[in-house]
Amino acid sequence: MGTENPGRPGFPARPASSPFAAAPQTATPFSSTGAVAGSDPPPFRPTAMPPPPQAPSPFSSSGPPVRPGVPGFRPAPTGTFNDPSLPPPQPPIANAPPAAGTFQRFPPPPFSSSAQAPLQQRAPFVGQPSIQQSASQPPSFPEPPQPQTPFVQMGPPPQSTSPAPMGSNVPTPTYQPSFPGYARMQQPPPVHSSFPPNQGNYGPPPAAASSPFLPHQGGYAPSPAMAAPLGMQPPGSGPPIGGIQGLTEDFNSLTVQTRPGTMDPLFDAKELPRPLDGDVEPKNLDDMYPMNCHPRYLRLTTSAVPSSQSLASRWHLPLGAVVCPLAEPPEGEELSVVSFAPASVVRCRRCRTYVNPYMTFTEAGRKFRCNVCTLLNDVPSEYYAQLDATGKRVDLDQRPELTKGTVEFVAPAEYMVRPPMPPVYFFLIDVSISAVRSGMIQIVAETIKSCLDELPGFPRTQIGFATFDSTIHFYNMKSSLTQPQMLVVSDLDDVFVPLPDDLLVNLSESRSVVESFLDNLPSMFQDNVNVESAFGPALKAVFMVMSQLGGKLLIFQNTLPSLGVGRLKLRGDDSRVYGTDKEHVLRLPEDPFYKQMAAEFSKFQISTNVYAFSDKYTDIASLGTLAKYTAGQVYYYPAFQSAIHGEKLRHELRRDLTRETAWEAVMRIRCAKGVRFTTYHGNFMLRSTDLLALPAVDCDKAFAMQLSLEETLLTTQTMYFQVALLYTASCGERRIRVHTMAVPVVTDLGEMYRLADTGAVVSLFSRLAIEKTLSQKLEDARSTVQLRIVKALKEYRNLYAVQHRLANRMIYPESLKFLMLYGLALCRSMALRGGFGDVPLDERCAAGHTMMVLPIKRLLKLLYPSLIRLDEYLLKVDLKSIERRLPLTMESLDSRGLYIYDDGFRFILWFGKGASPEIAKNLLGEDFAAELSKAALSEHDNEMSRGLVRVLEKFRNSDRAYYQLCYLVRQGEQPREGFLLLTNLVEDQMGGNNGYSDWMLQISRQVQQ
Amino acid sequence: MGWKLFFWLVICFPTSIALLATTFYQVLILSDLESDYINPFDASSRINYFVLPEYIVQGALCVLCLFTGHWLMFFLTLPVTCYHIMRYVKREHLIDVTEVFRGLNAERKFRLAKLVMYLILLIVVIFRILAAGSSIFYHNSKFEELDIRFNTLGY
Repeated sequence: MGTENPGRPGFPARPASSPFAAAPQTATPFSSTGAVAGSDPPPFRPTAMPPPPQAPSPFSSSGPPVRPGVPGFRPAPTGTFNDPSLPPPQPPIANAPPAAGTFQRFPPPPFSSSAQAPLQQRAPFVGQPSIQQSASQPPSFPEPPQPQTPFVQMGPPPQSTSPAPMGSNVPTPTYQPSFPGYARMQQPPPVHSSFPPNQGNYGPPPAAASSPFLPHQGGYAPSPAMAAPLGMQPPGSGPPIGGIQGLTEDFNSLTVQTRPGTMDPLFDAKELPRPLDGDVEPKNLDDMYPMNCHPRYLRLTTSAVPSSQSLASRWHLPLGAVVCPLAEPPEGEELSVVSFAPASVVRCRRCRTYVNPYMTFTEAGRKFRCNVCTLLNDVPSEYYAQLDATGKRVDLDQRPELTKGTVEFVAPAEYMVRPPMPPVYFFLIDVSISAVRSGMIQIVAETIKSCLDELPGFPRTQIGFATFDSTIHFYNMKSSLTQPQMLVVSDLDDVFVPLPDDLLVNLSESRSVVESFLDNLPSMFQDNVNVESAFGPALKAVFMVMSQLGGKLLIFQNTLPSLGVGRLKLRGDDSRVYGTDKEHVLRLPEDPFYKQMAAEFSKFQISTNVYAFSDKYTDIASLGTLAKYTAGQVYYYPAFQSAIHGEKLRHELRRDLTRETAWEAVMRIRCAKGVRFTTYHGNFMLRSTDLLALPAVDCDKAFAMQLSLEETLLTTQTMYFQVALLYTASCGERRIRVHTMAVPVVTDLGEMYRLADTGAVVSLFSRLAIEKTLSQKLEDARSTVQLRIVKALKEYRNLYAVQHRLANRMIYPESLKFLMLYGLALCRSMALRGGFGDVPLDERCAAGHTMMVLPIKRLLKLLYPSLIRLDEYLLKVDLKSIERRLPLTMESLDSRGLYIYDDGFRFILWFGKGASPEIAKNLLGEDFAAELSKAALSEHDNEMSRGLVRVLEKFRNSDRAYYQLCYLVRQGEQPREGFLLLTNLVEDQMGGNNGYSDWMLQISRQVQQ
Repeated sequence: MGWKLFFWLVICFPTSIALLATTFYQVLILSDLESDYINPFDASSRINYFVLPEYIVQGALCVLCLFTGHWLMFFLTLPVTCYHIMRYVKREHLIDVTEVFRGLNAERKFRLAKLVMYLILLIVVIFRILAAGSSIFYHNSKFEELDIRFNTLGY
């Protein structure tokens, strides 16, 4: 027993009085419409909703096809069908609309219980007659309670019931009736042409069955009916049937078994769900709202907004969004850049929403209605275009902003408070003795020099350097000099900038000076024996230099700040603090100086990236604050040695310097009235209640936010979210990147669960948990995660507890099947794991800072890394084995194998005890028997070694944000094996941590209490 | 008698007016901040400028009331003083510009509560001034013994 689906035949039959039981009666007559048009109006009538007051007027205006004397809108289809003048493909069109127009989607036939399998959903179309058959018999499949609730009440908001929009702007009989300008609907989707008759037959009955919503939707019914006769719009309802079904409420369940011989319950470990495919982006809205932005930019924790506060309060998971505004599009895919010059950007007058595909144009193109606040705006004269007969703008195909969910606008001068800044890079480098010894300076100087050509924004890029030990050194890089001049500031109490300008210089002008400086930098300080660090004063001095322009400050820090302001103490080595109320203080900045500096930096558009290298305590908690409020990032290389970690630093610094960066940015996310974003989580500073100040932001940063309902009841049927990032591109252009997303408003909790997105939920969970560790104990943060998962599952169980016998079963939604495992992995992650002894304080803080910025995909990989068997691939036994991820448990590790563990930040190569020495010899060279902690992996001249290097290269290329160093460990090599690999096998019980099946058992027990 | 009037009119009255005004100003700034009329940097520096003076003045008033034996006044000011001391000890007395929006509602609620306390304080002070003033007046006109009201109020 294991994951099973309650919708299979053989399950107790559902009571005939459930809404679905209505299907047989309505289905039968309707199915005949294709063939015997109009033969059977009376049974059909009830299914057609009674036209509401407004209905007649648009209806009659649509004219010809309506046969006089036949009541309802039924005649329209028949009329069209019989009309010989119409092209053949249209009959189905005529038939389909009522269903499509009336309801957002077709409920799947009763037997397609496994909603997720596309094949099964398609099946009904092909085997239509038999479907009818089965539908008209008393169904023998249980239907969960809410199956018939259409989950988007489609239909335009009230305005479309008025005659005017109807005439000019016929809502398409598709899933987007409210967005008449929808371009893609010009062509019938292929699905349609292949199964036209089935559409008409199969669609409507469920529609009729889901009568609870009829009254609401009646008003819009006529529009599809008349669209069809006009013959302009093919029904676009085909694809959604395949995509968004799932009326059969699908829940997964695990059966609790009893351990043989005892009464202890347990789960079968093999049946537990595991995310071995990594992150899966939600696709369920693609068919309904094809103009939404791609999920890599914006993901909601559930793609359905609850319609009431009471419903929202029953959703115990975070309700919010994770935004990665600059996510890298896959190669070959370019964003459209739209310029409205000389006019300004088209926006709604009232709510300031940017023009997007969901705005509807009316009054012959002179006005547009804002989709967010429904205000009717005038179209600026420069932006005017006529509407064609279907109500679409004639220039639609030249207007990417009206067809795509993600566009970039070129911002005119009113979006600037000052001329767009050039890209500025300033490097603040620690040159005290430990920095020199670790070899960090050498690598940094080399890397910067190699990146000079690739810094974005040539030829405007500006660059500057400062170094510090117990004094601060500036470098005059005036282009007329041949060698940089060093200026030393030793007054730490009253720091000043020795030179008004020329400390920050244009790179292309002073290129030779900069290069000679970087060449000399390592040798300049190689004999330095200074052990002090005047980090605070240096920070202040750099701030003075940079405050003119802003830009990016990269700090390379090796010694705990010991002089001047911002002095830090050694702390964190006191194990007694753990478990007390004072514990969280260790994870907070010690000196308010750092928070003040961060605020100042943010105010002057300076973004700080902290590279910390120390082998001793460096107080990442304090230093990280600088990055936290300035949209920066923390890179931590504990006990940095250039020989070992050099490559990692090189790659990550290179990535930091060369990735596309948005400067002096602000970001805001807008949504319709009734919903408000309340809290934000990530690295940024709030400029006002909903404006995120991001001095510099790039593709590797994501931001999370939670929303709350302000009104008790949402009356709209669709909620729109729009993320707008206003920034200066490296080329010097001011731009606005806009992501728009439409999601349905639902009245049903089951629907929210069905559309939930595990990745976004986990991302928000981890950010909330990490923030919690800043004010409470680790233990509390962990138990909060568990508690919220339990609450959510309990609520979900209550949905079904009445209908199904659930004893000894743990049920969870299909969409959240990995939530429990990720919850466990989160509790065992570096940031939250254990107590004092488990993770050094600095590493814990660094992990916390990193997890606060990670985009969803990378976070999930960090939480549940991939474990892959390599030896079979290298020996060419099984070439597929490299694509097969294994569960993270000891049992997956065969002692004859070679495995790679990849969490996106490092590789761990695990050599089994029984692995053939041949492999080790080939991969490691002659010293394969030596201790692996000292062995380095390099390419050897044999096929296997080259194969391994290729594999590592392939893994690294799949995500370039971080460079994965390769650690080698042999089975049984303690304690390295323990802390490198074994603690990270999250499914195994380890020390005080739960294993996966124990964790599930705990949760299921608490859920059933 | 002269001392009483002096105490109420010259010490307590301006003090409570000042406390009321600064708190009101802080509430105002916080509302402005919420509706985006002021940026968090200016807002927090303006508020923080007044925080310590307010704490000192309020504490001084409380201590003064204690030593001069004005028990009612002392107990009226005591809760606020305790609250101030708690905030100061926890180092939470200043607005943190980086997290100002997170605690915005709580900060405003506390200040509104304080505003109400100060208002009560002011009303009491005004009554005392009237009492002290009229008692001098009645004393001068030799009618003091006739008026029991002010004597009872005096304690």
